[in-house]
Amino acid sequence: MQLSTDITTFIWLIPLCCFVAFGLSIVGRYFTEKIHFICVVAVFSACFLSFLVLYQFILSDMSVVTISIDWIAIGSFTITWGILVDSLSVIMIGFVTFVSLLVQIYSLGYMLNDPRISWFFSVISLFTAAMLVLVLSDNLIFMYFAWEVVGLGSYLLIGFYYDSEAASRAAKKAFITTRIGDVGLLIGIMLIFKSTGTFNISSIIDLAQNGAVSESIMTCSSLLIFFGAMGKSAQFPLHVWLPDAMEGPTPASALIHAATMVAAGVYLVARMHPFFDLAPLALPVVFAVGLTTFLVGGSIALVMTDIKRALAYSTMSHLGLMMLSLGAGPWVVAILHLVVHGLSKSLLFLCAGNVMHSTGNRTDCWSLGGLRKNMKITASAFTIGALSLAGIIPLAGFFTKEEILISLTEIQGLWPIILMIVLAGVFVSALYITRLTLITFYGEPRSDNAARSQESPWIMTIPLIILSALIVIFGLILIPLPFVDGYRGLGHFIDPKYKVHFVPWLSFISILVAFLGLLLGWLFYGNNALSHTKMVGRVAPLYDLIIRKYKIDELYQWVIDHAILAFGRLIALFDRVILNDALVNGSGKSVVLSSLRMKWLQTGRFYNYGMAMVIGVVLSAAVWWLA
Amino acid sequence: MIDLVHFQILSISLFCIGVYGFMARKSAIMVLLSIELMLNAVNINLIGFAAFSDFAESTRALGQVLVIFVITIAAGELALAIAIILRLYRNTKSINIDELDSLKG
Repeated sequence: MQLSTDITTFIWLIPLCCFVAFGLSIVGRYFTEKIHFICVVAVFSACFLSFLVLYQFILSDMSVVTISIDWIAIGSFTITWGILVDSLSVIMIGFVTFVSLLVQIYSLGYMLNDPRISWFFSVISLFTAAMLVLVLSDNLIFMYFAWEVVGLGSYLLIGFYYDSEAASRAAKKAFITTRIGDVGLLIGIMLIFKSTGTFNISSIIDLAQNGAVSESIMTCSSLLIFFGAMGKSAQFPLHVWLPDAMEGPTPASALIHAATMVAAGVYLVARMHPFFDLAPLALPVVFAVGLTTFLVGGSIALVMTDIKRALAYSTMSHLGLMMLSLGAGPWVVAILHLVVHGLSKSLLFLCAGNVMHSTGNRTDCWSLGGLRKNMKITASAFTIGALSLAGIIPLAGFFTKEEILISLTEIQGLWPIILMIVLAGVFVSALYITRLTLITFYGEPRSDNAARSQESPWIMTIPLIILSALIVIFGLILIPLPFVDGYRGLGHFIDPKYKVHFVPWLSFISILVAFLGLLLGWLFYGNNALSHTKMVGRVAPLYDLIIRKYKIDELYQWVIDHAILAFGRLIALFDRVILNDALVNGSGKSVVLSSLRMKWLQTGRFYNYGMAMVIGVVLSAAVWWLA
Repeated sequence: MIDLVHFQILSISLFCIGVYGFMARKSAIMVLLSIELMLNAVNINLIGFAAFSDFAESTRALGQVLVIFVITIAAGELALAIAIILRLYRNTKSINIDELDSLKG
């Protein structure tokens, strides 16, 4: 089928849809209570358009389309509202709009009784629109604006229940932590601009490849850009905001953890990957940070008892895995894992939302249990998501995890050690998700709320069914299909240079590791053959350290209290003593004092003034006459 | 024969009387009159200098023109000053300048 018009020229409509919905619903909520449906319609049309573009891209083998309007023109230099449509951004907009659509449909049920439902939908629309602009923009400065709006959206969503102390704290924490990264990003962008004279991403990469940028500048700026990505994508040590972001409504968490907020950092590094590739030190740093995040997140997820927190640390761990694969080499793999993980993680979060919905907002998994009896759809959807996250064949998660492991074998030198560390992480990944699933959904109910739980209405289960079905079949899109001519996997579509590999011994090992994780989880939490309390008792100091999140929050609090606030107090002292007391009040006081001394000159006697005039005239005459 | 010096003696006497009245009188009206006296002392001075100057006949009248200007403006000033004194009297029931010392520091 040939589409009658070139749909890619209208691609700017996709973010605009969501943005217009944001504007309309902000104003419209004063007129009608049903205004939030406009957001759902908008994101549906955005999703539809994205799939049309994706469809046309696949059919016509298009490579790159750019659309731009001048925004600021300074002499010969212009900043543009530019859109770059290539297979990477097409995949991203399809993914973002799809997850956002499902989350919004789900929220129609989840947020039904919330009086501020239309505000929730407005912010979600803004959030989605900003993310779409971020993935579509062709220059760094435009992307940076979208990047900041994404940060704002996350702040508003996390702080949605603004009357709760924890929520507003979490919102502040998320905003400030990501802002720290953003400062790095902005400095990085400025550095690049200073040495290349352009913000346009493809020109920057061209210039860098032709050797127009010095190595030190490239290393500096790519590390700074990566610092921004670390903030947004919750990489160690800027990960602290992600678990606290649980305070927002659960559908918002599903969106943040899958498609919008945390995807931004991974996307940015993938987009700038050729640039990172040229900088000598950048990719090893990305790799090291990713590996640390992978292990730290996974180990904390292993001990968390709050469902949403455990899922959050699992997200953090998998973001680490994505960064690690970006650092290791083929960026396509990271994007594939981003999409696949996003699908499973949004599924898991929506299931967690259902659990909270039916058990009166209980999130501690030890107070639940046995939910599968009453919530069959949610339980099976959660299980599918969990298995995909654990990387069990033939679910989608298996394939991308496999590709990442294969890319590790191509590292020079140390790869067997690194591979073993990552496999340990994969094992932990399987273990914690099994633990979470078994405790929450299987066994016997541990509380009245859990026993009395019931399945959520269809509007909240249909998105789960769609996502689970997609996770089951998505693996097929990732690999070359024997019965479709010329199709060599989604990875090949995103980057033609990329080929899907298959290494039998590695697949065997990774499946074995994942199953071992599953088995160990089952032994601990399924049939109780092993006692997890004894296990905890045996490694008590380590367990303590992990459950206190490696004391990183405490460390930051200490630094804030003892370094930043102390410095602030010093500045405050300077402000109070020198600026306020000495300069502002001092000048006022000196005027008051001098007037007190001089006020006797004003006698109020007429003849004194007359005398002064006469004396003045005589004196000035004398001066004139003598001089 | 009346000479320039006579004009100047008259002028300076009037001026000194004016200055004395300006400083010694308590009534605002008298102070005002003293100011007028000083003003007219200056006028006499002007006319005297104009009459005894070495200017040509045609420009000798300039001093008198200046004096007429001063008289005109003095009339305006007087009207304003008397209006102010009237207001003062209405507000404070007094035109004794010794009592009007609200500007005292």
